[in-house]
Amino acid sequence: MRAEPLRLALAAALALWLAMPLIPLAIWSFAHGWRFPALLPGELTLDAWTYALSPASGVLESLGVTIFIGLAVTLLAALVGVPAGRALGLHQFRGRGLVLMLLLAPVILPGIAVALGLHGVFLRLGLTGTVTGVILAHLIPVLPYMTLVMAAVFAGFDTGAEEQARALGARPAQVLWHVTLPAILPGLMTGALFAFLVSWSQYLLTLSIGGGRVQTLPLVLFTFATSGRNDVTGAVAMIYILPGLLILALTTRRLTGRSPVLGPGIGPGTDR
Amino acid sequence: MTALRLSGLTKAWSRTAAPVLAGLELAVEPGRLTALVGPSGSGKTTVLKLVAGLLAPDAGDIRLGGRSLLGLPPERRRVVMVFQAPQLFPHLTVAQNVGFGLRMRGLPPARIAALTEAMLDRVQLAGFGARLPAGLSGGQAQRVALARALVLEPEVLLLDEPLSSLDASLRDEMRTLIRDLQRATGVTTLMVTHDQTEAVVLADRIALLLDGRVAQHATPEEIYRRPASLRVARFFGGVNFLPGHAADGVFHSAIGPLPIAPGQAGGPGLLTIRPEAILLGAGPLQASVLGCSFLGPQTRVTLDLAGTLLLAMVAPEAARGLVPGQVIAATLPPAALWVIPETAAPPPAPGP
Amino acid sequence: MLAPALLVLGGLFLSALGLTFLRSLRYMPAIGLTEPDLAAYAAILSSPDFLAALGLSLWIALASTLISAALALGTALLLRRGFAGRGPLFFLIQVNLTVPHVVGAIGILYLFSQSGFFARLAHAGGLIDRPAEFPALTHDPFAIGIILLYVWKEVPFITLILLARLQAIGTDPEATARSLGATRWQAFAHVLLPMLMPALLAASALVFAFAFGAYEIPLLLGAHAPRALPVLAWQGFTDVDLAARAEAMAMAVIIALVGAAMLLACARLALPAAARDAR
Repeated sequence: MRAEPLRLALAAALALWLAMPLIPLAIWSFAHGWRFPALLPGELTLDAWTYALSPASGVLESLGVTIFIGLAVTLLAALVGVPAGRALGLHQFRGRGLVLMLLLAPVILPGIAVALGLHGVFLRLGLTGTVTGVILAHLIPVLPYMTLVMAAVFAGFDTGAEEQARALGARPAQVLWHVTLPAILPGLMTGALFAFLVSWSQYLLTLSIGGGRVQTLPLVLFTFATSGRNDVTGAVAMIYILPGLLILALTTRRLTGRSPVLGPGIGPGTDR
Repeated sequence: MTALRLSGLTKAWSRTAAPVLAGLELAVEPGRLTALVGPSGSGKTTVLKLVAGLLAPDAGDIRLGGRSLLGLPPERRRVVMVFQAPQLFPHLTVAQNVGFGLRMRGLPPARIAALTEAMLDRVQLAGFGARLPAGLSGGQAQRVALARALVLEPEVLLLDEPLSSLDASLRDEMRTLIRDLQRATGVTTLMVTHDQTEAVVLADRIALLLDGRVAQHATPEEIYRRPASLRVARFFGGVNFLPGHAADGVFHSAIGPLPIAPGQAGGPGLLTIRPEAILLGAGPLQASVLGCSFLGPQTRVTLDLAGTLLLAMVAPEAARGLVPGQVIAATLPPAALWVIPETAAPPPAPGP
Repeated sequence: MLAPALLVLGGLFLSALGLTFLRSLRYMPAIGLTEPDLAAYAAILSSPDFLAALGLSLWIALASTLISAALALGTALLLRRGFAGRGPLFFLIQVNLTVPHVVGAIGILYLFSQSGFFARLAHAGGLIDRPAEFPALTHDPFAIGIILLYVWKEVPFITLILLARLQAIGTDPEATARSLGATRWQAFAHVLLPMLMPALLAASALVFAFAFGAYEIPLLLGAHAPRALPVLAWQGFTDVDLAARAEAMAMAVIIALVGAAMLLACARLALPAAARDAR
C-alpha cells in the first residue's frame, strides 16, 4: 500500500489539529504566572481550580443553573417533541415539507434575529431576566432537534407492535408504557442528549433573555475570558466541556467505538 | 475475439483465512458466453473482479490474447464489468451514461452521440437518451448498463448476476436480450450466476467453481449428463448414485451387471443416471415402487431396485395407477448411464 | 400531535422574528411610532460601518465555508477506508463535536495570539523578540483567528455528513467507472464528486449561515474595527438611542435573510437527494 504512510501522516496531522486548541486551556488551568515567552508554565498550581470551584467565583452556581435549565429544556422538548416526531415520522401529509422547513428554520437561521425580537416579546410577557424565560427561549433551537431525531426514530418504527398489544387487550396508556416507550427509548436518549448539549452551548439567547441576571456557564466563561485571568478561564473551560465529554463517554457503543453523537448532523451552530 | 486464460489464480482475504480461490485454472472460450456457477461464497464475483482489475490476485496470471493483464489498472484492460445492480450514474442522463466510457477515452462528441444512439437502439431503448436513471424501471436500467458496456466493444464482458435483481417476468426478456446481444457482437462473455437453470439456458459453456477451483468446465449438456465428480453432479441436481465397479462396458453393482456406453473410466466408481432417463413399464429390471408424487408436468416415482433407492421422473401417464409396493419393470438405458470415477466418498441417499 | 410543537415553535420563533421585523420598520406603538418606514434600512445601507461589517461577515463566512468544505472533502476521503489510526481519529472528531464554539475560540486565542503559544515558539526559535513582532492572527482585520476557529469546528461537521453519504454511495459506482475506462482521478471527478455534491453543498450552506450570523466568536476573536455584523447589531440593540435600536433590528433582519437564503438552498439540495436515496 504505497498510500499508507501518507495516509497515516495526514491522520496524525489531523489528530494534532483537532486536539490542539484544547491543550493550552488545560495547561493554563494549572499554571501559575505563565508569561511570554515561556513555552511552559514555570510553576504548576491548583489555585485556578480552587478559585473556580469556590463560591466566590460563581462558577458552581452557574453550573447548577445551566444544568437545571438544560434538564428543564430537555424535558419540555421531549414532552412536545416526541408526539410531534411521531406525527412527522409516521405519516405523510400535505404540508409536510412546510413543517420541515419550519423545524429547520430555527436551526439554520442565525440566532441573533430571534434573540433581538424575542427580547421584546418576553419583555411584554414579563419573562425577561427569569430562568423560566431562558428555558422557553432555549426551546426554540432545541425543539427542532428533538423533533427531527424522534421523526427519524419513528420513521423506522413498526406500529404493528402497538396494534398487536391493543389486540391483546392493552389500554392505550399501557401500550405507550410497555410497547412504544421501550422501543423508542434509545432514540429518545439520543435526542435528549442532543437537546441538552444545544441548551448547554447557548450564549446570545441567554444573554438577551436573561439580561445578565441569568448567568449560565458560557456567560461566566466569556466574562473570565475577556478579563485576562487565563488560568481561571482554562479551569472554567475544562468544567464547561465536561458534560459533553461525559455524554460522549456514556453513549459510545463499545463495539463500534462510535457515539450517537455522530448521528444526524444538522446545524453547525450547536456544539455536538 | 481473444482468448482469456486464468491460470493458478489464488486469492485469500487475509493471511490466516483459507483462500477463496486456490490455483484456479480456466480457459474461457473466445466469442462465447461462459457461465461461472457455484455455491454462494465460492468466489465467483471475486474471479470477475480479478479479471476486471478491481482486485489483485495473490498468485497466478490472467492473460488476454496472450498478454498478461496483471499490473494493468482497470481502465486499461479492455475488460468491462457490469455489476449486479445496474449502477447507473444518477447525475447523468441515459445517453450520458452509455457514452461515459467513450467520453473517458476522449472520443469527439459527435462520434459519441452516434455510437450511443446506435447502441440504445440495439437494446430497444431508442429515444430514452434524455431520461434520468431515476425514471427507469429495473429492466430498462439493466439494459442501459449493458449498452454502456457493449458500446465500448470490450474484449471481455463480465456480468455479475445480471438477472438476479429482476423479477421473474422480466428475466426471460433479459435472458433473450443478453443471448442475442452476445451472439450479435461475439464478445467473449463471462457471466456469474447462482441459478443453474439460467446457466443451462444461456451459456455455451459452464464452469463450476468449487473449493476455489474449477471442478468442471463443459457444455451444459456435458455437465448435466456426464458430471466429473459427485459434487458436480449433486450441484446440478443429480440424485441417483450407485456405487460399483466398471469393466469392459459393464458396470457391476448391487443391482447386477448393467451395460454401459463405451469410453467410460474403468475401475471403481459411482454410476449415475438422470431421473428423467429412467424408463418404466418395460425392461429387464424389476423395481418396487415406494411412492409417487404428481408434480404437474411430471410424476416423481421413488423406486427400490435391488435395495438401491432411485428417483425417476416420468410422464404422468406412465405412472398412472402405480401404488406403493407394486413391482414394475424398468430400464436404465446404457446411453444415459455415466460412471463417476471413485473418490473415497460413501454412496449418498437419493433425494433433493 | 404535531400541534403543540408547532404552537410552541410558531409562537416563540415566528413571533420573535416578526417583532424583529416590525421593529426594523420602526414600528413601535408603545412609544408612538405607528408608521412603519424603511428609515432604519436606509440609514444602515448608507452607513460605512454597516457596509464594512457586512463585508467582513461575508468574507468570514465565505472563507470559512470554502476552506472547511475543501478540507472536509479531503478528510472524508482519507477516513473512508479503514486504517491503523482511524479509531482514535473518530474519537477526536466526536470530542470536537461536543466542545462548544466558545471554548474552541478561547483555545485558538491562546494558541495564535501575539503572546500565544505559537508566538512563544517563534521566540524560542529566535524569530521574534517581542509579542508585537508576531503577525496578528487574532483581533486582526482579516479575521484569521475567527476563520481558523470556524474551520476547526466545521470541518468535522461536514466530514461526518460526507462520510455518511460516502457509505451510502459505496464503492461500486467508482468501480463501474474504472471498469468503463475511467482512471482513478476521472472516476473521482466525473462520478464520485457529482454524487457527493448535493450533500457537500447543503452542509456548506449550513456552515455559511452559521459563520455569517454567529455572535460570540467574532466578539472574542475579532478586531475592534471593523466589527462583524452580528456584533454591530448587538451593539446597536443595547444602545439607548432608539434609532440605533431600529437599525440593529434591520441588521438582524438582513442576517436572517441571508440565513433564510441558505435554508432554501439547503432544502432544494438535500431534500430531493434524500428522497431519491430512500428508494
